[in-house]
Amino acid sequence: MKIIVLIKQVPEMERVKFDTTRGVINRKSAGVEINPFDLNALEAALQIKEEFAAEVIALSMGPTRAEGVIKEAIARGADDGILLTDRKFSGADTRATAYLLASAIDKIGNVDLVIAGEMTVDGDTAQVGPQTAEYLGLAHIAYVTKLEEITEDYLTVVAPTWDGNYSKKINYPGLITVTKDLNTPRLPLLKRKLEVREAEVEKWGIADFETELDPQDVGLKGSCTRVRKIEVPSPVEREGKMWTGDQLREAITEVAQICQEKDRMGE
Amino acid sequence: MKEEIIKKLEEIVGPNWVDTDSERVISYSREQTNNAYDLVTPQPVEGSVIVKPAGAQEIAEVLKYANQELIKVIPKGAGTGLSANAIPTEPSIILSVERLNSILEVDEENLMVSCETAVTLGDLIEELKKNDKLYFPLHPGDEGAQIGGMVAMNAGGVRAVKHGIMRDQVKGLEAVLPTGEIVSFGGKFGKLLKNNAGYDLMQLLIGSEGTLGVITKVVLKLYPEPKATGTLIIPYQKRRNAFQTVPKILQEGIIPMAIEYMEKEEIEDAAQGIGKEWPSKEGDSYLMVILAEDKEDTLYDKAKVIGEICEEVGAGEILIAETNAEQQNILEIRSHVLPAIADKIVDSPDVTVPRSKLAEYLDQLDQLAEKYNTKIPVIAHAGDGNLHPIILKEEGEVPSYYDQLKEEIYQIAVELGGTVTGEHGVGMLRLKFLPLQLSQAEQQIMWKIKEAFDPNEILNPGKAVVKVLN
Repeated sequence: MKIIVLIKQVPEMERVKFDTTRGVINRKSAGVEINPFDLNALEAALQIKEEFAAEVIALSMGPTRAEGVIKEAIARGADDGILLTDRKFSGADTRATAYLLASAIDKIGNVDLVIAGEMTVDGDTAQVGPQTAEYLGLAHIAYVTKLEEITEDYLTVVAPTWDGNYSKKINYPGLITVTKDLNTPRLPLLKRKLEVREAEVEKWGIADFETELDPQDVGLKGSCTRVRKIEVPSPVEREGKMWTGDQLREAITEVAQICQEKDRMGE
Repeated sequence: MKEEIIKKLEEIVGPNWVDTDSERVISYSREQTNNAYDLVTPQPVEGSVIVKPAGAQEIAEVLKYANQELIKVIPKGAGTGLSANAIPTEPSIILSVERLNSILEVDEENLMVSCETAVTLGDLIEELKKNDKLYFPLHPGDEGAQIGGMVAMNAGGVRAVKHGIMRDQVKGLEAVLPTGEIVSFGGKFGKLLKNNAGYDLMQLLIGSEGTLGVITKVVLKLYPEPKATGTLIIPYQKRRNAFQTVPKILQEGIIPMAIEYMEKEEIEDAAQGIGKEWPSKEGDSYLMVILAEDKEDTLYDKAKVIGEICEEVGAGEILIAETNAEQQNILEIRSHVLPAIADKIVDSPDVTVPRSKLAEYLDQLDQLAEKYNTKIPVIAHAGDGNLHPIILKEEGEVPSYYDQLKEEIYQIAVELGGTVTGEHGVGMLRLKFLPLQLSQAEQQIMWKIKEAFDPNEILNPGKAVVKVLN
C-alpha cells in the first residue's frame, strides 16, 4: 500500500506580520513551519501504516528551503519525501499547484491513498486537495474528522456536510482531506530528526517530468488566479463602558438602546 | 467592618471602589492555595472589606489610615499564591491592586519593561508578542498571576534554569510602605544594571510576600528572543535515572531554559483535564527539557549531547517538539498539573536541594514512602533542584501521618543542604517549618526588619516571618 501525504511549508501564522501598504505577507517577520493540518494528514497516514505496513511518502511543492518540511515529515515517520521545486513552479494558484501535485503523484505511480490537510493556514482555500483528486480522477472526501474503519481496500470515514456528520466509504485509490479533530499528531523522535538533518531530500524540477506534465500548466503560467492586492483589516477594539451602582437605570436604558439598534433584542 | 472605616475608605478611593458584599469579600479573601490544598489551608474569616485604589497615592492614604487605626491590610494580587500567602485571618482591608494594570513602557534600548503591579504574566506575554526581538523568559505557571505578585513571592516556575528566578529579573521597583511612604528602588527610572547605593532594599522587598510593602510598579529585564527553541520529552522507567541526568546535562555546559520532571499519572491527568494528549507513551516518568538557542544548528548540537547522556542513563526514545503550537501545548499541559490533581492531593511541599543531591533526595523520599506505606509522586523543576513531593489523600481525607510525613520531607531536604521553600514562599503553610532551616538569630533579625518596615504589624500579618522576641 502506498500513501502520499501532501504537505506545505507555511509562515508561523501566530507571528507573521502583513505589509499593509504593499498588501503582501512580510515573510521575514516569522519563521516557517509545516502547515498544522498537514501534520494531522501525516498522522493519519502513519496510523494506517501501523496497521498495514504501508509506504508513506511526503510530497510538497515549494522553494528549495521547503525541504525542511519534507525532513520534518520523515522525522515524524514518513518513509520518504519529494520536494517539487523549480523556478517555473513559482506563482502557482490552487489550480496550477493541484495540477503539478497530481502530475507528481501520477509519476510516483501505484498510489492507493492521498491524504491532505483540509487547507493551508496561509492560503485558507481548502481547494488543493479536492482539485488534485479531480486531476487524478480519484474519488475524494473532504474535512474528514474520524477514521472509522481502515482496511486494505477501503476506508470508512466521518465527514460533516452542513449540519450533519456522515459516515462515508471510499475505495482506493482515493483522496481525503482531514481536519485537526481527526487526531493528535505525534512528535518526531530526536534520533530520527538528527539523522534526517544530514540527509538529502529528493527534488524534482520541471526537467524530471516527461509526459506527465505540460509546462504551460504549472506556476504562474498555469494559474487562473491573479492576486492584485491583499487587504488586511485593522483589528477592531472592543469598546467597554462601566456604570456604577447609582447609575443602574441609566445603564439599563442605554444597554437596551444599544441592543435595539444592533437588532439583538429578540422577542 | 465598622461603618466609619468604610466611610473613610470611600473618601480615599471613591465609593465605587469599596466593596463589602459578603460573597465577593470571601471570594477576594481566598486564593489558589484554598483550591489546591483545600484540606490543610486556613479558611478566610468573614467581615473584611475590599478596597481598589487607583494608584500609589491612594494606596499610601489607605495604608496611612490603616496604620493609624491599627487595621490589618492584606495586599491582593491575582490570588495565585500557593502557601496561604494572602488569606485574612481577622477582618481586614483587602487591598486589591487590580486597577494598576498598565504596561507603561517597553524600553528597547535598555531591554526592559516597566509595568504597573497588576499587569498579568499573560498581558506581558501578549504585549511582547508585538515585539520582534525581546521577550520575558520566566513562566511560573498561571498566566493570570500579576507581575507585582510574582515579585512579592519571588516566583520561579518552569523556565528559570537559564535566566534565574523573579529576583534576577527586577531592576526597579516602586512600593508603598505600611506607614504610607511611597518609595522607589533602583534609581529614578529603575533601569540600572549596577547600583551599590546603600542596603539593597529592593531585593529585600522581592520575596517578602506582601509583609513589608505594597508593590505598585516594577521594571523587569527583557532578553533577546532566542531564534531556535525546542522542547525535548525524555521518558524514563526509573525516576532516579531522570534526576541523575540533570547534573550531567549541566556539567556538559548546556544550560537549557527549563528542565522539568513529572510522572505519568499526573501529567496524563493534566493533559486530559484540558482536552489534550501527552505525547510520550513510553516510561513512567519524564524530563521535559526546553532549549533556547541563537541558531538551529546549536540547538541540535546540544540536543544531540543530551540524547547521548540520556542513552547512558537508560532513558527511552526522546521526542522533540519544535513548532510553537506543539511546544506551547506541552507547556500548557505542564502548567495544568496542579489544578488537575487537586482532588487527589493533600499538600505538595516545595523543597529545593542542591542539584547534585537530587537523586539522593529521591532515594530518601522512596524510603519515606515505604515507611508510611504510601506513594509519593513528585513533580519538579529539576533543573533548579526544586521538587514538589506530593502527599496524597487517603480515602479522600488527610492521612493520619500527614504532619509527620511533611516534616520529614522538609527535614531530609534541609539535611542535604536544602530549603523548606524554593519558590512558593512561607505564607502560613510553612511558617512552623522555618526553624528547621533558620537559626534563632536569623529569625530574630528577620523580625526586626519586619518591625522596621511595619511597626504596628498591619501588613499581611501572620505570614512569611515568625514573630521572635528577644
